[in-house]
Amino acid sequence: MMGYSMRFLKKVSFIIIIIIMLLVIMIRMPNSENNEILIKNVVIENSENVKKIKFNQEINFDSLILKAINKGIPLAFKVTLRVVEISDIWPTKTILKKVGYYQIEYKTLRKVYRIEDINGNKHEYKYINEAIQKILKVEDFKFSFIDNNMNYNLWLNVALDRKKLPKPLQVNYFDRTWYMNSNKSIHQL
Amino acid sequence: MKYIITTAAFIGIALLILLAKAISNSDLISSDSFRILLGLNIFFICSLIILIAVQIFRLLQSVKKEITGSRLTLRLVLSFALMGIVPVLIVYLVSVNFLTKSIESWFDVKVESALEGGLTLGQKTIDILMSDIELKGKSIAYSIGNADTDERYNILTDLRVKFGIQDAVIFDQDSKIIEVSSDKNNLIPSIPNIEDLERGGEDFFGRIEEIKGEEIYLKVFIPIISKNLMSKRLILQLTQPIPPSIANLALSVESVYDEYQQLTYSRNSLKIIYILTLTLVLLLALLSSVAASFVISRRFSSPLAMVANATREISKGNYKKIISEQGKDEIGVLIRAFNSMTSQLEEATRNSEKDRERLEVARTFLETILAHLTTGVIVIDDKKIIKLNNVSASKMLQNKENKMNDTAMNKIILNNSLFEPLYEFVETYIDGNKKNKKEVSQEFRLKKDKEERTIMLQITPLSDKRSTKYVLVIDDISEVTQAQRHSAWGEIARRLAHEIKNPLTPIQLSAERIQHKFSNKLNKEDSIILERSTNTIVNQVNALKIMVNEFAEYARPTKIKKDTVRIDSLVDEVIELYEINKMISIKKEKNIPIIYADQNKLRQVIINLIENSQDALKEIKKPKIKIFIKKKVNEVELIVEDNGIGIPDEIIGRIFEPYITSKKTGTGLGLAIVHKIIEEHDGKIKIERISNSGTRVIITFNSGK
Repeated sequence: MMGYSMRFLKKVSFIIIIIIMLLVIMIRMPNSENNEILIKNVVIENSENVKKIKFNQEINFDSLILKAINKGIPLAFKVTLRVVEISDIWPTKTILKKVGYYQIEYKTLRKVYRIEDINGNKHEYKYINEAIQKILKVEDFKFSFIDNNMNYNLWLNVALDRKKLPKPLQVNYFDRTWYMNSNKSIHQL
Repeated sequence: MKYIITTAAFIGIALLILLAKAISNSDLISSDSFRILLGLNIFFICSLIILIAVQIFRLLQSVKKEITGSRLTLRLVLSFALMGIVPVLIVYLVSVNFLTKSIESWFDVKVESALEGGLTLGQKTIDILMSDIELKGKSIAYSIGNADTDERYNILTDLRVKFGIQDAVIFDQDSKIIEVSSDKNNLIPSIPNIEDLERGGEDFFGRIEEIKGEEIYLKVFIPIISKNLMSKRLILQLTQPIPPSIANLALSVESVYDEYQQLTYSRNSLKIIYILTLTLVLLLALLSSVAASFVISRRFSSPLAMVANATREISKGNYKKIISEQGKDEIGVLIRAFNSMTSQLEEATRNSEKDRERLEVARTFLETILAHLTTGVIVIDDKKIIKLNNVSASKMLQNKENKMNDTAMNKIILNNSLFEPLYEFVETYIDGNKKNKKEVSQEFRLKKDKEERTIMLQITPLSDKRSTKYVLVIDDISEVTQAQRHSAWGEIARRLAHEIKNPLTPIQLSAERIQHKFSNKLNKEDSIILERSTNTIVNQVNALKIMVNEFAEYARPTKIKKDTVRIDSLVDEVIELYEINKMISIKKEKNIPIIYADQNKLRQVIINLIENSQDALKEIKKPKIKIFIKKKVNEVELIVEDNGIGIPDEIIGRIFEPYITSKKTGTGLGLAIVHKIIEEHDGKIKIERISNSGTRVIITFNSGK
């Protein structure tokens, strides 16, 4: 039995290795980026121990997405902020990673577009344009770290959080509408 | 390949289970996991397709190479694949159709209208409540605006209670709370947004607020227009909860409506995902079944292929081919029966081989015996074709080839007319009409030119169901006959010696006495006659005595006293006795080995031979006698040859018999005695004519003891 198992493992080891490699590739494989989010006007404000960042975005909300919002599908955007230490010798080291969300949602009963900004504040707008204009501005995203006067960079990324979409939309990988992502925006701290 | 397909089957089942679980319970597996799962399934399907393609290619190659069992495997694979593909395809098509229609049926227009109606109803209710509170609020604001500052609280509280409003708060433009009136005694009102206050300061502004998705509040802002134009502008904020029964209903309708809308929006995605999943499941099932069909087909066909291969091996004579056991089903029974048959065949073959070996041994034994037989043995069929013969038969019939198989007997025998009588006898015997022929034998005295032989031929018929064969036993009894003749002569000589020698002496004495007594009494003339007559008697008696003595010598049993003899020295010694030794030449090889013999007898042999040669050379102008002494392997050869008149062909075959001589004088016993002495020394003697003239006598002795 042991011998059979060993022979079996020996025979299938090659297949197992290939499967593991493919799994790793699939997990690591970045989503097809449409780069529909453009980060601009990034301002980093320093106050004593806390830093604040604000930036504007350009997001291409096409008719399908607007329709989805009006159908009550909430759109949550994930803002990922990383403070990294750049070194010529060593690999980039992440000093801080902070994730924030802002969201737009249409409340059917009250016929308002509710915005929850990155700090958790809620705003309601009667018209979608007002609501969209609101979410395009991210303000007062706070972060703090011990600044050792090192060569730190700030990496910023905004993406539509597909995990908060309804499941059918999540798993429909053929629909590229929901692949909204920004390039990595890099800024010197 | 077996391991790969087994692994593939396990992976396929695992993936199918995961996929089914992911579809049935979306919370269980995240979208990323589902993506990996889908990727794995697609990868696995591709692997299966490659695996099956490789299998098909290998199978077709096997069929092309006509490997045993490949055609059966191909047929089984096609059958299994068809059995799998057809029902699965039907189920798939039905399922896809059913699935599509089911998803479409969820989004009925009536349901959507009803939900929209419910939602609108909720909205209208809230709008009515909003209008109601707007009127009430405007009334309170008007009253407060016309009241004095110290009366504001009482008016606010009275009207609030009167209109059944939960909270009423008066703010100034700077968000400062001026007055608060609430059903809750310890209400600490929250500060509204600046935007709300600004809007409320200009005109009526109402908002519907939702707290934790459970309660709905109506919050309105109404500007208070004071009679004192110089005073600060105040804003009245009223908060009124919507009755829970209405709020719950409205919220639940909203929730269902939202879900419905989301589903409506994502129905295409739903269809795609379900159809994709179903397709993956179908492909997994289908390809797994096709892959498994290879294993199953090989499992079915491999025992049969093994049987076919084993049969081929057996046909080549390899009876040790045993097929491994294959379970207890019919194929297992077939294989066991096959193995049993193979074992029996092997046993039978082994026995047959043993029999063949025994037969071979017997045949070899018989051949050895036949080969070493001095008697010739020939087996012929009824067409007188030789089927078997031994070397002696070939030699006896003076055939060049030892093997005479499949040759007509007449071709062999008629080459030498000496054996014609033999063939005639055989032909007569075989072609005769007698049934149940019996064994016959006949002695033939064959003579041609100088050759004379006595042959005994025995014919024995051997009959079996198919044919009759004849065994001819040919025995050259010339020497036996000669020996018998020698023996007969010996007996005659002994009798002569005994019967004649005895009366000779009285005859001689009587003749001498007659001469002695009557010679003086007769006249001279008669006396002379008497003397001549008696002398004749005495001389003839002496001659008879000599002849009888020679016969006696021939007939007398010889007493051989063997000792070591150097033949070359003996020859030298004898030659010295002859004055004529000038005509004798000797040629001796060096280191002639000694022989073990009776020296006196050998001396007699040499003397007899030299005297015979002298007699033959009397009328020859240049007489020569050559003596050669040669050493052979374990033998010594003595050759005496002359250039005399030679021996006539008529008698050379019988020259060693008594009374056979070419000389005018002599008894003809010399060579007979020589022959006898040589035979007594286990030697060989041969006499032959030299081609031109002369005779050569060759004597061979064994060297050593």
